[in-house]
Amino acid sequence: MLRKLRPRHVRTRLTLWYVLVLASVLVLSWTLIAAFMFLQMRNQLDHYAIQDIETVEGLLYFDAGGRLLLHEDYHNHPESKRVLERFLEVRSPEGNLLYRNERLAGQTLGGSPIPREGQNQYSNRSGSLADGTPVRMVSRRHVLDGHPLLIRLAYSERPIWARFEEFAVASLLALPIVLVLAGLAGYLLTRSALAPLQEMARRAGRITSERLHERLPVGEAGDELDHLAGVFNNLLRRLEQSFEQLRRFTSDASHELRTPLASIRSVGEVALRKNGSREECRDAIGSMLEEVNRLTALVDGLLTISRADTGRIQLHPTVFPAMALAREAAGLFEVLVEEKGLQIAIEGDEGLSLAGDRMFLRQALVNVIHNAVKYTPPGGSISVSVHDQAPGSIQVEVADTGPGIAPEHSARVFDRFYRVDESRSREAGGAGLGLSIAQWAVRAHGGDIRLLPTSGKGCAFQISLPASATQG
Amino acid sequence: MIEDEPKLGKALQEGLQAEQYEVSLAQTGEEGFYLAEVENFDLVVLDVMLPGRNGLEILATMRARGSKTPVLLLTAKDAVEDRVRGLDAGADDYLVKPFAFPELLARIRALNRRGVPETSPKLRVADLQMDVVARSVRRDGQTLELTAREFELLEYLLRHQGHVVSREMLTREVWKEAGRHTPLDNVIDVHVARLRRKVDDRFEPKLVHTVRGVGFVVRERQE
Repeated sequence: MLRKLRPRHVRTRLTLWYVLVLASVLVLSWTLIAAFMFLQMRNQLDHYAIQDIETVEGLLYFDAGGRLLLHEDYHNHPESKRVLERFLEVRSPEGNLLYRNERLAGQTLGGSPIPREGQNQYSNRSGSLADGTPVRMVSRRHVLDGHPLLIRLAYSERPIWARFEEFAVASLLALPIVLVLAGLAGYLLTRSALAPLQEMARRAGRITSERLHERLPVGEAGDELDHLAGVFNNLLRRLEQSFEQLRRFTSDASHELRTPLASIRSVGEVALRKNGSREECRDAIGSMLEEVNRLTALVDGLLTISRADTGRIQLHPTVFPAMALAREAAGLFEVLVEEKGLQIAIEGDEGLSLAGDRMFLRQALVNVIHNAVKYTPPGGSISVSVHDQAPGSIQVEVADTGPGIAPEHSARVFDRFYRVDESRSREAGGAGLGLSIAQWAVRAHGGDIRLLPTSGKGCAFQISLPASATQG
Repeated sequence: MIEDEPKLGKALQEGLQAEQYEVSLAQTGEEGFYLAEVENFDLVVLDVMLPGRNGLEILATMRARGSKTPVLLLTAKDAVEDRVRGLDAGADDYLVKPFAFPELLARIRALNRRGVPETSPKLRVADLQMDVVARSVRRDGQTLELTAREFELLEYLLRHQGHVVSREMLTREVWKEAGRHTPLDNVIDVHVARLRRKVDDRFEPKLVHTVRGVGFVVRERQE
């Protein structure tokens, strides 16, 4: 139920918050203004009372019988309407009532004297009469004909309270109107502010896997919305890239799978038609089996890659000397190197250790070296070097004097099935998975493999791996 | 042999019969289980993925009933955990499809002579003699100079003489490569070519033969 009450649109929520904040600010400020106004008016009242008390001091007199009286003729003065409204009481310091004006109508003003009341200074306080009238009272000690007197003079606070109430009522009436107007304005404002967002959502909704090339418009303002559009476009670009990669992968994979299948089929069909000798049949079957082996290797490679992609390969890390691994990996191809008349040189720091799954790192290095052995023409040379140029990481570099890799291919050499020779000739062998498996293995260890830019002939791969904590 | 794929089952049956094995083929788990119960086989070749009754269940039931017949599992799954599950269920060996037929033969031979390892220190074929302990090879009275790798390669071929050995078997058994993707085919071919040069070039009959698409074999007569 409560959930339903929660507004669904950001716009409504924003407006509600805005109105709520405005209401609190208004109520708070109006309360402060009212309090200030009230105090101001009461000060004014005190001021009048003090002036009046000075007048009253001059008008008091003792008659022949010793009674305290006030010269009433002063009332007729038109300027002092307030004089008519004043409450006046005079007591002796002991508290005996000496004089009380008619307006008080027998009610006491302030009761018995408070110690030090009206001494030296005017003392003022608020109180109320017996009939409930709120009053503001000023006291003053005065000596008349040798008699000490305590004069108390008060005005009703009713008019100030009335003004205060008027203000409060007016504010309360104005508040909803102000809030409604502000809310409306806010709502319209947020609508225009959020309009680009809606437009963005509309466009994004239209983008499907088939139309990933579309982009959101990015404004010139460089504000948050433009930033959002930029981020979104970036995401789209990466998505498009990975879709493209997947498409390419699928088509390459099917090409790689189809080629041996086509060979098997044709060789089998032709052998069947020819009605050839036993020798020819054996040859045909052997040729088909070769293709089957190629297919098997390909499926194995694909399986490894798909396991790697889904993170289902577990690494079993150990610490081992880097040079031994390099020698071992290069040693595998010793006979090929000899046959082709290549030179292979391994050099580096014997003290360096690698930490990781030895089998996979070996596989990575083996694949890279195999690549070099494959593409380096007879008489060329290959160098494998192990160094720790940057602290905390170890670089294994495999450089050859082969034909090298043209810059336009360098970005894609690690792509699956990617081979520099467009013809995908089988001469060099392999399905183009070796380097991408190597890349996966190195990256799984938090390292990286890249093709170093070379000037002129040959190519150089650099594998960099985090060094093991225990050196030596 | 319990294998539900008729083509594969029949091919393996024929292949094994050609090697002088007596083979009963069952195409479902139930049939195979029944056969294994009533007859006394030297070895059961069991496919893991079977309709009706899973190969692993059959294996577990067989073992639960006290059967000690060696079991070789065939499966298309090669993840480590599948392998472990198969061996846990009581399999004696494990072969991932697609496998090379010579490899199946080698595994079957190994399981059949279990407990009696063939580690004869002297191997011979025709006029070629190998002394594994002294690490020497002689042919027609002449000593052949082999590198360590060539020696191991020849030893492996000699131990399987008369049987074809696939490149995968050599990769695993002679080069001791655990990974399935190590690109060793060219390396193996070069080694075999060199071995052949030393063993066969100056002598007759030729002993090291290539079986196209399958692998290599050492034997006296040419087929």
